[in-house]
Amino acid sequence: MIKQLSVFVDNRPGSLSEITDNLKEAKVDIRAIASFDTPEFAILRLIVDKPEEAKEFLADKGFIVKISDAIGVELTDETGSLNNLLSFLAEADINLNYIYTFIYRNRKAPVLVFGTDEIDSAIKTLKDAGEVLVDHSEL
Amino acid sequence: MSKIELKDWQEKIRTPEIECISRDEMASIQSKRLVEVVNRVYDNVPFYHEKMKDLGVEPGDIKDISDINKLPFTTKEDIRNNYPFGLRAVPEEQVVRVQGTSGTTGKLTVIPYTQKDIDVWGECLARELTMAGLTKEDRIHICYGYGLFTGGMGLDIGVSKLGATAIPMSSGNTKRQMMCMEDFGATAFACTPSYALYLAESLKEAGVIPRLKIKAGIHGAEPWTKAMREKIEGILGINCFDIYGLCEISGPGVAMDCIHHKGLHIQVDHFYPEILDPGTGTATKEGEYGELVFTTLSKEAYPLLRYRTKDITSIDYSRCDCGRTLPRISTFKGRTDDMKVIRGVNVFPTQVEQALVSMGGAVAPHYLLVVDRVNNLDVLTVMVEVDESYFSDEIKKLDALRDKVGKVLKQALGIAVKVKLVEPKTIQRSEGKATRVIDNREI
Ligand SMILES: [Zn+2]
Repeated sequence: MIKQLSVFVDNRPGSLSEITDNLKEAKVDIRAIASFDTPEFAILRLIVDKPEEAKEFLADKGFIVKISDAIGVELTDETGSLNNLLSFLAEADINLNYIYTFIYRNRKAPVLVFGTDEIDSAIKTLKDAGEVLVDHSEL
Repeated sequence: MSKIELKDWQEKIRTPEIECISRDEMASIQSKRLVEVVNRVYDNVPFYHEKMKDLGVEPGDIKDISDINKLPFTTKEDIRNNYPFGLRAVPEEQVVRVQGTSGTTGKLTVIPYTQKDIDVWGECLARELTMAGLTKEDRIHICYGYGLFTGGMGLDIGVSKLGATAIPMSSGNTKRQMMCMEDFGATAFACTPSYALYLAESLKEAGVIPRLKIKAGIHGAEPWTKAMREKIEGILGINCFDIYGLCEISGPGVAMDCIHHKGLHIQVDHFYPEILDPGTGTATKEGEYGELVFTTLSKEAYPLLRYRTKDITSIDYSRCDCGRTLPRISTFKGRTDDMKVIRGVNVFPTQVEQALVSMGGAVAPHYLLVVDRVNNLDVLTVMVEVDESYFSDEIKKLDALRDKVGKVLKQALGIAVKVKLVEPKTIQRSEGKATRVIDNREI
């Protein structure tokens, strides 16, 4: 499982760099970042090395931050691997709220991150299908 | 002392023959006095003579209180334009006192009084001090400022009328206030609510509260909340009351709340209130909000017809649990200066605040209204801060929250609202005069 930070930001110039500036000040390392926009606001999702510290630091600065669980899956570098993974989830009737990818430094493999309301059954489905799950401690 | 609980409270009413009479009986007193005051201003104040002529109204057209809507309005600007004594209705020799206020715009408002005006003012206050449970046995520590400002002098006049002892401290020097409060054995005190809280905390810190005899606090001249009242009551172990007044009409004592705290009882035999739509100037339906407008029914030196206070409130005419029939004004909702007419609907920023508070913490009660005109149509955008406890990391949930806020605001305001969720602490906090509305329309 991955501990992911979600931060509420206004959709205006500079709002993202305010957050990264703060994380730099807090000496927090960013592993992955993805922004989900609407015309008015955005939710910035971050995977960092020290989620609790990062949350506290940002909250002190007045940001709205939430730590939530997300699932990380290592993708093999083969055609159709993403499609396979998604179809396992679809067959198990698991609804995805969001999805993004980043590169797993140590093994240089792409990792798919997704959020769902049905975390436990998603994990079980993927494990049964033989997929490799990534834990926060490995990042 | 300890705060008296409602069930143990013994209501005292100074003039039940006025304070508890039926609405019809009150209307007949008001009618008689209105006819008199209209005749006096028509004969003695050129300003009103002209205004009535312009409207084609003669004193004979005013037969009872229901004719009041035929009369001209008076505004703060009218008073300023006739500075200092242009609206005086009696010869100089009948004036015994002036009181006034320093407006925020610089120019003073100064109001003359005859001896009868002082007596009426004192009588209204004496009724209200009685409403607070006080009698001539009491000692009232007055730490409102004395001087031109009506606070100190007004309370002083009321305490004299009641026959109690006035301790004329005036404002400032908290150490001395605390010493005198203890040494003189004051049983009540009067000052602004913010000073009352400051004084209460200072008294607590100094450890003198157990030695005080204070049982009541009379506070007004600035807005305060129930929470603030309960805080002062809790620290000092007393009962506090909210007093309202304005120097144009007389001073503190135009209205005060009773132990039930269900609105402020207006002394309507002397000050006739109307609630009007601030845009059109016509009466709102009874119980609805609008601008509070006063006509002084018994004032001699400086009578005012339909003075527009710019305060937004509503009036409840039902008999109060205390037994009084004097109607009650509710907590002020705002000022007409802050009101915006958007698509023909009167919108007050405080309505937005109340609606947001009613959502129980989903959003913070910090907001900014932005009014634009797009394709000749007014568009109201309300910027609202998302509250941490309700933040969801899913866009669909935030969208749902935004839609819910929009629905609640539409219900409260009567017009469609565009809601924009913003980060916490991006909207200026209100310490008195925060900007609550930005109007980008060019009208
Ligand atoms: Zn009452």
